[in-house]
Amino acid sequence: MMANHDNVKKKSPIIHTLSEWFPAILLFLGTIVLWQILVTVLKVPRYVLPSPLNILEIIIKRGIDLVIQVGWTMLEAIMGFALGAGVAFIAASIFVHVRLIERSMLPWAIVLETVPIVAIAPLLTIWLGFGLAPKVVIAAIVCFFPVLVNTTRGLRSVAPQALELMHLLSASRWQVYFRVRLPSATPFIFSALKVASSLSVIGAIVAEFTGADRGIGYVVVSASYRLDTALLFAGITFSSLAGVVFYQIISGLERLILYWPGARLPE
Amino acid sequence: MMNVDATNNNIVLSNVGMIFPGEQQVEALRDVSFTIRDKEFVSLVGPSGCGKSTLLRLVSGLIAPTTGEISVRSKTPAQAQADVDFGFVFQEPVLFPWLTALENVILPIQILGKRSPVKDQEVIAYARQLLADVELSGFEKHYPEQLSGGMKQRVAIARALIYHPPILLMDEPFGALDEFTRDRLNLLLLHVWEKIRATIIFVTHSITEALFLSDRVVMLSSRPGRVMSIVDVPFERPRTFDVRFTQEFTELTAELRHMLQLREVADDGQP
Repeated sequence: MMANHDNVKKKSPIIHTLSEWFPAILLFLGTIVLWQILVTVLKVPRYVLPSPLNILEIIIKRGIDLVIQVGWTMLEAIMGFALGAGVAFIAASIFVHVRLIERSMLPWAIVLETVPIVAIAPLLTIWLGFGLAPKVVIAAIVCFFPVLVNTTRGLRSVAPQALELMHLLSASRWQVYFRVRLPSATPFIFSALKVASSLSVIGAIVAEFTGADRGIGYVVVSASYRLDTALLFAGITFSSLAGVVFYQIISGLERLILYWPGARLPE
Repeated sequence: MMNVDATNNNIVLSNVGMIFPGEQQVEALRDVSFTIRDKEFVSLVGPSGCGKSTLLRLVSGLIAPTTGEISVRSKTPAQAQADVDFGFVFQEPVLFPWLTALENVILPIQILGKRSPVKDQEVIAYARQLLADVELSGFEKHYPEQLSGGMKQRVAIARALIYHPPILLMDEPFGALDEFTRDRLNLLLLHVWEKIRATIIFVTHSITEALFLSDRVVMLSSRPGRVMSIVDVPFERPRTFDVRFTQEFTELTAELRHMLQLREVADDGQP
């Protein structure tokens, strides 16, 4: 019994992670194989549903181009993310100090949030042209709201006694903000940034749909016009990869910055 | 009422009343008058909602009384607060989870900056010594998450003492702890107090705790809080746990408990 217990403990973390992911990977591979078999046996036309091998072929053939296109999309997403999250962070910091500004602006932020992004995208394309700008702005808009709400909540998450303590020490507003509010808010901010990172990629792609000559959204749209379904699937694969990569980068940053035990909020 | 002169380090409450405004006005305190002498250990005891915590907040200037006057070391509470005369320990430790135990203890000094009474070079040594005083040597680099409830509260006490406040206000500091931890921390607090000799106002529900720790116990009645009685605690210092098993201690405990209960019955009997 004891020996058995020790064995379990000695398992390396890599093996542990692998065994944790094993069922998911198995399901994925099984689905791919079943898909391949069904498409071949039922002779599904390629423009309706390409087989996994068709998609792989396209990815290999056009790999470099796809990477460049997804790179453009990532650039738009990251710039939009930085802009949206940055403005949201500053707004939240102001909200916490001046209630009047919060009361006058928050309702409009909520209205902005409820407008479907697909409806704003064409307008921004008219205003800002076919370049980088409308994509960045749309990515920024989708990032703005979750970061605003969570940062405000985080900055307010400080225990009233902690504020009383600061008051007893005659701490200035700056000291309270930087030494208490901001560190308390970081777990909330990161949980919002993770959501925003995936959203920013979606925002950039949606913007590309309405008018672009590059980016993975452009690849997807033009493939759909030509009924090149295999390329469409390759585009979809690369866009979700972009979202996952961005999310993982932010997750890594989070692990780095939230160093203290018990810091990270549950997913 | 006693005269207040410039050298007076007492805390004097004169006819203090506190009504919290709002739809349903709450009268928390009525006509409270008593004096806490310099370097005295005074406990405030009473049923829930008798305004014990409100009294601490009034003395420290966190809130202002509706009626009456409070003088702290011959100053208003606000002036005393500006002079950083108060250390405060809450029922919850209120430590900052991103700081280690040592960093939490030092934080007030960093906030005070130039106003700090402790010199920069001495801060870390003094913080380490305070952590040793509360029996936490070796835990300097632990984060709050890695400490037990009692340990966290000891860090909070060390933090409250780092800037040498002449007055330490403690709002049920051991109320959330189990009995064994509470007993240990009672003894530890007495040791620390013998060393630092600050004035301590200690709020508690526990008559035993109040009698064991204090020079005097102020008994408050329930809402609105009024002073029922002020009891001198006769036991010699330094005290050990043995004092709690003396007949005198048991009798005094029973007397105070009786007083509280009688009062409760009388209150219930009111129309």
